[in-house]
Parts: sequence; C-alpha cells; structure tokens
Amino acid sequence: MELNKKIRVLLVSDSPGHATGYYVVGKGLREAGIEVILGGFQIPPQIVKSAVQEDVDFIGYRIMDGAPEILVPRLVELLKERSIRDIQIIVGGIIPPPIVPTLKGIGIEGIFTPGTKISDIVDYVRSHFDAGTSG
Amino acid sequence: MFKEEILKEIEQLNKGYEASVKEVLKKFSIEEKEMTTLSGLPLKPIYTPLDIKDNNYVEDISSPGSYPFTRGVTPTGYRTKEWTIRQVVGLGTAEETNERLKYLFKQGQTGFSVCGMGYQPYESGDERSFGILGKGGVWIDTLADIETLFDGIDMSEISINQIGFSIPVFAMILAEAERQGIDFKNLSGTIQNCVFPFGEGPQMRGNGSVDISEYCTKNLPRWNHTSISVRNIRDEGISAPQEIAFGVYMGGFTLQSVIARNIDVDEVAPRISFFLSSENDFLEEVAKFRAMRRLWARTVKERFNARDPRSWLMRFHTQTTAINLTAQQPLNNVIRSTIHALAAVLGGAQSMSVNSFDEALAIPTRASATLSLRTQQIIGHESGVANVIDPLGGSYCIESLTNQLEQKALETLKELEDMEPRKAYKYIVDQGKESGYLRQKAIDNNERAMVGVNRFVVREGEGGIDLGNTDILGYDPVWRDKQIERLDRVKKKRDPGKAEKAKKLLEDAYRNRINIIGPMVEAVKAYLSIGEIVEIREKVYGPADLSHVWGCYFGM
Repeated sequence: MELNKKIRVLLVSDSPGHATGYYVVGKGLREAGIEVILGGFQIPPQIVKSAVQEDVDFIGYRIMDGAPEILVPRLVELLKERSIRDIQIIVGGIIPPPIVPTLKGIGIEGIFTPGTKISDIVDYVRSHFDAGTSG
Repeated sequence: MFKEEILKEIEQLNKGYEASVKEVLKKFSIEEKEMTTLSGLPLKPIYTPLDIKDNNYVEDISSPGSYPFTRGVTPTGYRTKEWTIRQVVGLGTAEETNERLKYLFKQGQTGFSVCGMGYQPYESGDERSFGILGKGGVWIDTLADIETLFDGIDMSEISINQIGFSIPVFAMILAEAERQGIDFKNLSGTIQNCVFPFGEGPQMRGNGSVDISEYCTKNLPRWNHTSISVRNIRDEGISAPQEIAFGVYMGGFTLQSVIARNIDVDEVAPRISFFLSSENDFLEEVAKFRAMRRLWARTVKERFNARDPRSWLMRFHTQTTAINLTAQQPLNNVIRSTIHALAAVLGGAQSMSVNSFDEALAIPTRASATLSLRTQQIIGHESGVANVIDPLGGSYCIESLTNQLEQKALETLKELEDMEPRKAYKYIVDQGKESGYLRQKAIDNNERAMVGVNRFVVREGEGGIDLGNTDILGYDPVWRDKQIERLDRVKKKRDPGKAEKAKKLLEDAYRNRINIIGPMVEAVKAYLSIGEIVEIREKVYGPADLSHVWGCYFGM
C-alpha cells in the first residue's frame, strides 16, 4: 500500500466532438496533481477495459449526446459483472434533472452539470479517493 | 472623416471631459479601472470622432451592399429579406425529426437545418449506437430515412442546411431532390463544408470536401457548397478576433484548394459562406460581424484577385452561443439567447438559430424550441431594429471596435498563413482547447461573470427562478429498435443486383480518386447504408483519421 499514490482518473466521453468540457476538466484535474488518462469516445465495454488496463481510481464519464439513464447503469452493471469495486464513477455533462435521482439510486454521487467549478470536481475526487483500498 | 479644426476642438472637449471624470472619481474615491472587451481588447469609457479619424467612409465603411461591405452584403438589408429562421432540429429517427420540422414550419420557421445526419460511420445496429441513437441528432442509415425526413416538405420551397458534411448524406439530399423532380440548377441550400489539408497531389484528390465544392460549382449553382464553421470553436472559448481570423483562414484555404482544380475564383467564392457564433459581449459581437465582412471582402478581392462582387460577400449563419447557457436557473438562458440573437441581427446575419433555454439540461422540448423561434420573430417583427440597415454603424464605439477587431484578426491571419496548412489547422484546434480552460478558470475565480453560477447564486430550496412546470424531453430507447428494424426492411426490399453493382462502382471511384459525389449519388440510390459505404471507403483507404473532423465521418 502506497499512501502517497497519485490519484488516477480515466476521462471518457459518450460521443466524439463538442469536447470542451472534457478537455477543461482533464486539464483542471491535471493541474491539481491528479493523473488523467484521456480515453476519448468509448462505449461502456471499452471503458471497463481501459479502466482496468490503466488501473484507475475513477472513471470520469462525460455525457452529452447519449442517454445517461442508459449508459451509466450499463457501465455500473459491467463493472459489477467483473466484480470491480475499487473504481468509482463520476458523471458530467448534460444530465437532465429527472435523471439525477436514477443515477444516485445506482450509487453515482459525483454528478457535475454545466456551471460546475473545476475545484468542486477536484475536491470530490480527493475526498472520495480511498488510498487504502485503491491501487 | 473629420476636418482638422473640428478634431482639434474635440480634443479640447475631451480634455475637459477627462478632467470632470477624474473629479467625480476622486469625490467618491473610486479607482479608475482599465476595461477590456470579452476578447481582451482595450475598451474606453467613451468614444469620440478622434477614435475613428483615420477611417475613410468610402473605403472602410461605405454603403450597405458596397465594397468592403462593412455595413452589410445587400443594399436593402432586412427591409427586403428577413434573415432565415433556421432552428437546429435533430432528434430520434427521421420520423420524429420530420414531425418536429413540420411543426416548426407551421410556426413560421423558414429554413431546414438538421443535425446528426451521417455523423457516425456505422449502422444503427452497431453496439456503439446503444443509448445514443437519436439523442444528439437524427439518425440516418439510408436514403429511405432521408425520404422520410423530407416527407411532406417541398425542397423547392425551403432552404436546406446540412449540418456537418457527410458525403453520403449530401448525396441522399441530392437523390431526394431528384425524386421530387427539382432541377439541380434551381436547388438551393447549404452544406457545412470546409477543406482540411489532406488528399493526393496539388489537387488534393481523394479529399471529399474539395469534391463537394467542385461538384457544386459545376452542377449546383445555387448551393452554398462551403459553410465555414468557426462557431463551435468559438464556443470552446477562443476570442472574437480569433474567430474572424480562423474563419477567414479556413475560407481562404478552401478557396485555394478548389481553385487548384482549375476552377476560376469567381466560380467558387460566391458560394462560400460562414457559420459564426454570437457571444456574450454585445458591442464586440456587433463589431465582429462587421469586421469579418470587411476582412473577407478585402482578402478575396486583394489576395485572390476575385473580380465578381458576389465573390467578396461574407454571408453568414449564426447559432447563438451555448457555452454561456447555464444549468442553474435555466430560464435566465431565455434572456441570454435574446441578447445574443439581437447582436447577430444588428451585425447583419443572413440566417439564425437561437439556442433553447433548456439545452444545458436536455434536448429542447417542442415548447422551448418554439420559444427560440418566437425570440427571432419578436426581434424581427416587434423591436423595430430590422427596419434600419446597420443601425449601429457610425457609432464611434462600434466603428472603433470594428477597426480593432479587423486589425487584430489580420495579425493572427498573417501568422496562420506563415504556417504550413496542417500546422495552422492544428494551431486552431489547440487554441480551442487552451482557451476553454482559461475561460473556465476566469469563471471559477469570479473574473468572468456568470449570473446564477458566480453571481446571484441561488441554492436549492432557496427560491429564485427554477424550471417551474417546464417539461424535460426524455430519451426514448424505442428509437434505436425502430431504426434497426427499418434498416433491415430497406435491405430486404432493395434490389440486391443493383446494390452490388453500386458497391463496385463506388469502390472503383474511390480507387481512381475521381470526384466522389456523382458515384455517391448512385450508391445511395441503390439504398446502400452509410455503414456499408464507409466499409467500401476503408477497403480502399484504410481506417480514416477523423481527429480533424471532431471524430465525425465528414468529408470522406
């Protein structure tokens, strides 16, 4: 167990293009000393594969073109299927308000919509990072 | 523009004014603040004739419809032709989008602008479309979907805008026009096309974007074959002068690429148009549209030696900025978009799409889309601003900002032109990423105001303006099932012999690097799917690098 292990985040998106938020968050996390792997557009099975390969603590899932109520549960389900418990999911982007309770219901606490400060995401990642069980 | 002795008098007057300002500031012990526009250009507290004394009215401003077109591309402005109201539509399958379009036309929308068409290089059944199909735009597999999309819509009545530049989709639109019995010579519309530097030899063979422009120049005289989009990169956070410079650079590069195919500049340039943003800084935006018109006119006339005055015109569509809309207190976005739209009208837009207030939350509902339409109609029919051409022209401030923006953009344009084209395009993309971050930092540290986010914040349950009873449009997973089934039906129904023949012809066309548009029209008429077409292209070229086209299958 390394107490000073760097936090690792895999950033992925639900579609190519319109990636402003994705790059902004990536750069903001990096500047805060968090390791960021830019995965680009990936579908849930690919995301799980990349997350395992990259040995990340968090998956940051940017959703803009897709339906979060379908894509996020699918990702959660795939992680469960492979008994992966030490990777947390954060969701950001266009998340319709009625969908928020659905996501919270399946254990997603970090939901960041337009208007979020970068420091809020950084704080969330730091406070939810468990150096003991991760890595 | 002013006589020497008058300028001297004004100078005296200004000294007096400045002294009185100092007095007021001193009295209330307020420090004088240096201000800038949103793009960082110095902004004075007042502007006087001194600020525009070097302008020559005839050469720099002139009448609307006269070179360099600072005041507009036509002599009569909105007095004889309203801007085209062209709200972006694109949801579900062709059926849902057709229904929304017909509804909007009934409500007074005058243009067709559909997003999502042919963005992805695979069929609806691919696992990559799961949870996505139909949400970020309409899904198109084959010509049958385009037929559904245009059902009950007369293509000779409505001006069509294809968002993105998927070549199979463009071919489908042409095939549908043919089916509707419209002569290509009379077909009018726009494709959001732009040439990126790739292809073989000086004529860039195999570059589908050059093919589009070449084909249209020869066959579709009324089709705007190039609509340079700098709107999306502006919406990443770049500045107004960068938006102008990047647009003029990309427009110039496209022009030069088509000319390389032995086409005269005056055959290409008149059908190049632009797709711009309309940002927060109202004064700067009005000046931006004016400055870009002037810079484009000067560039095409002086650098490309175009002789036909139609070649000099910078006509543009605008979509109001979306990055400045907030998920917090979303009704505030109605006001924001109205201001953005007003700037575009005062800047002389030819066509406009106003974002809906719920776009930071979901796809616009029918009601919110209608409100966007009404925003345009209220500006056009009630406010009176459309009755005077370039009404802010002649304002010392607006003219001075127009000068500054043109100057600054020209500097950036020169830098870009000194780079190798691939490097210049990369620079443009990188600037987008970099500026997006700086913009966010400025919001986070309260330097840049965002009402509801870093000013006048309302926490949940504290009241204020929330969405109230407004609906949010949900995603319907049935769209994907329906689309997969439809594609299946089309494939079963099509003539297999014809489909095979079309595949072979298309493959040969790709291999021989001939203009792909003609063969593509034949391919889509045999009801090949976009997924199948992409497979054929990849057989010839290998997997495409889509990084320069935002990961979408454009210009291929």
